[in-house]
Amino acid sequence: MEGNMMLLLPMVCPILAGIVVLAGKVFRKNRKYLISLSVAVLALELALTLQALVSGGSLTMLRLTEQITLGLHIDQVSRLFAALTAAVWLLVGIYSVAYMSHEEEEHRFFGYYLIVAGVLMGLNFSANLITLYVFYELMTLTSLPLVLHERSREAVRAGLKYLFYSVAGAFLALFGIFFLAGVSENLTFTAGGVLNDGALAGKEGLLLASAFCMIVGFGTKAGMFPLHGWLPTAHPVAPASASAVLSGLITKAGVLAIIRVVYYIIGPDRLRGTWVQNAWILLTLLTVFMGSMLAYKEPVLKKRLAYSTVSQVSYVLFGLSLLNQTAFVGALSHVVFHSVIKHALFLTAGAVIVTTGWTRVEQMRGLGQVMPKTLACYTIAALALVGIPPASGFVSKWYLASGALSSGAGVWSWVGPAVLLVSALLTAGYLLPLTIQGFFPGHDFKGEEIQKRKLTGKEPSWWMLAPIGILAAAALLFGCFPGNLISMLQSIAASVL
Amino acid sequence: MTEAMEMMIPGICGMGLHLKLDGFRLVYTVIAVIMWGVSGAFSKQYMAHYEKRSRYYLFFWATFAATVGVFLSADLYTTFIFFEIMSFTSYVWVAFDEKPESLRAAETYLAVAVIGGMVMLMGLFLLGDVLGTLDMDRIGVEAGRVLAGETALSDGEAIHVAGGFASAKAQLYTAGLLMLFGFGAKAGCFPLHIWLPKAHPVAPAPASALLSGILTKAGVFGIIIISCVMFTSDGSWGLLIALLGLVTMFLGALLAVFSVNLKRTLACSSVSQIGFITTGIGMSCLLSWAGEGNLLAVRGAFLHMVNHSLIKLVLFLCAGAVFMNLHQLELNDIRGFGRKKPALCFSFLMGALGIGGIPLWNGYVSKTLLHEGIVEYAKLLAEEGAMLAEEASGISPALVNILTSHGFWKGAEWVFLFTGGMTVAYMLKLFVALFVDRHPERQAEFDEMSSKYMTPLSRVSLVGGAVILPVLGMLPYLTMNRIADMGQEFFRGSGHLHEVNYFAFANLKGGLISIAIGAALYAGVIRTLLMEPESGAAGAQGRKRYVNRWPAWLDLENLVYRPILQVALPGVCGAVFGFIDQYLISTLLTIFFAVSSVACRAMDHLTDGLVVLARRTVCSQLPEPKSHPEGNWLAHVIGSFVDRWARIKNRLFGEKDTGRVRVSAVHHLIEREKRFKHMGDLVEQSFSFGLMLFCIGLCLTLGYLLFVYYGGVLFG
Repeated sequence: MEGNMMLLLPMVCPILAGIVVLAGKVFRKNRKYLISLSVAVLALELALTLQALVSGGSLTMLRLTEQITLGLHIDQVSRLFAALTAAVWLLVGIYSVAYMSHEEEEHRFFGYYLIVAGVLMGLNFSANLITLYVFYELMTLTSLPLVLHERSREAVRAGLKYLFYSVAGAFLALFGIFFLAGVSENLTFTAGGVLNDGALAGKEGLLLASAFCMIVGFGTKAGMFPLHGWLPTAHPVAPASASAVLSGLITKAGVLAIIRVVYYIIGPDRLRGTWVQNAWILLTLLTVFMGSMLAYKEPVLKKRLAYSTVSQVSYVLFGLSLLNQTAFVGALSHVVFHSVIKHALFLTAGAVIVTTGWTRVEQMRGLGQVMPKTLACYTIAALALVGIPPASGFVSKWYLASGALSSGAGVWSWVGPAVLLVSALLTAGYLLPLTIQGFFPGHDFKGEEIQKRKLTGKEPSWWMLAPIGILAAAALLFGCFPGNLISMLQSIAASVL
Repeated sequence: MTEAMEMMIPGICGMGLHLKLDGFRLVYTVIAVIMWGVSGAFSKQYMAHYEKRSRYYLFFWATFAATVGVFLSADLYTTFIFFEIMSFTSYVWVAFDEKPESLRAAETYLAVAVIGGMVMLMGLFLLGDVLGTLDMDRIGVEAGRVLAGETALSDGEAIHVAGGFASAKAQLYTAGLLMLFGFGAKAGCFPLHIWLPKAHPVAPAPASALLSGILTKAGVFGIIIISCVMFTSDGSWGLLIALLGLVTMFLGALLAVFSVNLKRTLACSSVSQIGFITTGIGMSCLLSWAGEGNLLAVRGAFLHMVNHSLIKLVLFLCAGAVFMNLHQLELNDIRGFGRKKPALCFSFLMGALGIGGIPLWNGYVSKTLLHEGIVEYAKLLAEEGAMLAEEASGISPALVNILTSHGFWKGAEWVFLFTGGMTVAYMLKLFVALFVDRHPERQAEFDEMSSKYMTPLSRVSLVGGAVILPVLGMLPYLTMNRIADMGQEFFRGSGHLHEVNYFAFANLKGGLISIAIGAALYAGVIRTLLMEPESGAAGAQGRKRYVNRWPAWLDLENLVYRPILQVALPGVCGAVFGFIDQYLISTLLTIFFAVSSVACRAMDHLTDGLVVLARRTVCSQLPEPKSHPEGNWLAHVIGSFVDRWARIKNRLFGEKDTGRVRVSAVHHLIEREKRFKHMGDLVEQSFSFGLMLFCIGLCLTLGYLLFVYYGGVLFG
């Protein structure tokens, strides 16, 4: 243990709290204790994270061998991901207070919810590939109970599918780690890569193969074709808060891992122009199109949003695959924007389920009469995801596309933006009908069900509405005033490329 | 206006906003204010009976802000941002009353807006990439360098070409076409005009006035930027725009002539007028390609924009005055409503005369200039056509042939005049229907409404808007020339302007030809072919009613959009346009969705499928070893034979219910055999069995001995 011990707090604190919640009988019986503790810890978590981000530094936790250490380090990328995680985790936690009151075994949900927060923080702070891998696997295991929460037959099957895909992906990545460990001094993240030219001589082919394995492997969590299958299965069965964080933040852990591998271990220059880059771009574009196409065809709202995540996270991966500064800025800004937007959308879906029990989009006609405020927030988030200026999705799309055009990646440089725009079109096609039918149900719509069940004007409680509102406002304001975020991302991009 | 005001707001949406206020933008901002002011005042009465008014007003003013933003923008990035906001906020207008047809029209509107927006965005990406800037002041210069085949931009940076494009020029043209698609969709250019005739009849009238009068102009604004600023003197581009303009102009007017719905006619008329403006823009490109001053065309296009905005404001508000009293728009239902209503009659007449291009009203001035633009180009070709054709470089010969064919442009001039005639004809049709005809049953009721059909506020705003039109038209030198002076710089108008005497016979001639054609069309086509005698007593008095001559067999899906064509004309044109409207786009979309969703579904299940396949084949579990069958083969053969026989017997004769569970004969036989064997075993093991065997052996031995003994004796 040497270095800044403050880095441990945001990790250890929620994990301990989570264990206490899971073990303590009092939290099972008394809901008030459970909620106060959980929300308090989440708020504390945000404060501790910010404190750690400001103080910075690094910490070596454990020396396994001379080469292999478990260590934490704060750089710009971890700042971005950690701040996003802590803030959104708190908002979703507040939402869960109201949402989970309709579910059983709340203490189990909150317990694991807190633990995953700590694990994710560890993942964001990781200083080297080994640490990252450890936390990555831990994250898979600890987030599994969130998927399994309802313990129905489908939930268990979905959970197992999630586990299978994640582990399969992680093993693909592990192969790469073994190889990389052999051709580098140590696996500490360093902008521009750490590989040793001498050790690498003659093994270029193997390097590319293992790079591809790692991209596909970590891409599993990010929902990249061909290992995206767990997302649409896991989301509809998990509680809405769990789907939200799975889709908005856990997928981003895959993105973070890929950033670390490509930009901080292998180095972008070694991949530029190789078959790996081309295959990667192809896979991301296929995923972008496939995800939005299937979302367009999907009637169940949560599943539709899950397919949408498949498509949108691949926007990010597309930006990363271009190995170009502008596209990199676009990709990282889309990490933030998509996370904010997708949380707002999933939380809305959850609010609809709790208030009305509707899950399919065609049931939600006239939703504007039931919850106009929530639906307005949904609309803002949806427009942001489509990329309508001045909302946030537009900004990231602009950087992605102009980066693609100037990247010199051959024909991809204009095919990419074209696919992104077709996908944006489909995004409008699958998100906006809810708004349109919600606010403009038509003359012939009498709303018998709404009147019979006395649903008119029945907004969800403020515990749920406030987080949705904050997220929707963020989706809009990030687009209007992205200046600080963009300049921070540009400095990251300049350091790695 | 001495110098332009500029404003930069850095950081908004990443790249920052850039606004500017100069001559053209000032004129259009003022027009926007006038239009929103007048229609806002009119809305008070029009919207009085609607619920959800606050929703209407919220989006009414939001659209105002966005539209002004579009017209003030000084770079295309800013234009795009406000353009998209405008598209989405104005969506609410179209969907406002939530009737099924409104919702469907709104769907079309949104689809056109979103698709147009995305295609335009792609164009912007390509443009920004090749020119390195989106600033309107710079794209002209940079595009000029790219078109001239230079390799570096004005700041010395090498021109970047995205992978896959043959040259910077190809990329620039692609960008231009994509942006033209986006802006053209909003402007209502053929073949993307489909949303206009659908959206206007269903939107509230003040909103229609704005949609038609100024939102379409936001699209035209973009076309101007691409054509006049970027492709300033590019022959092939000018040809494209001019052709689009001619087709749009003719098609729109044709649809308007056949329409029997007040607002739909006005909407089709908007399409046609946008065609006039686009033609003017195209001509200005062509004139400057030919090395001639293009001021005539530029001023014509700009003034026609202004005129059309103001005229359509008045006309749509008149339609609104009709609708808010009768809640009907079909010409047969509203016949005679305007009688004894001087304010309405005056306003409508001003608008009709203006748009019909009647001398002394404002539309005449701009149409004359547009006409002169075409005439000048045709004259130029007659004189130096051959020389131009020789000098033309970088354009394919086929295009050069069209560009320099004198006959072609003479033909274009006649299309222009004929369309002008159709304009006169359909406005005459509307005017006669509203103010001359009598309604067969409700005329007295209509006349009673004369005192209270409009509130004073509506009346003042309507008449106020209408008075502007003749003022502009009667004092063109004082008013319109000055407006044109302010705007022409934005269009990059060049050359020396020779003073146009609007009221000289040479210029009046074109207008008069159009009026003559219009009168002939009205008398020859509309009164005879598009009307039929009223049935019953009214018919006996020689009264006629308007009929929709649209062929009924095409009236599928309750015809959202009617390309109106007479049955008498062989339905070729109708079928083609109808096909484009109804089937072409939607069929392509359906096929695309069907194919790609199947492919995507296959990809979706690829991994799962492989896993399942592997489980079934390579990684399948070994079957449990089969237990050795009991019994010998004979029991199986006989038993199954008996079983089968029993089954056949049962099927033939019906089963007897014995109350027992039937046991298979095989099983039965095997059991028997087992018991038999078991008994045998028992017997074999017993002592008496041993004794018996011994006895048998002894007997056999004895027998043998006897045989041997007596055998010897007997056979010796």
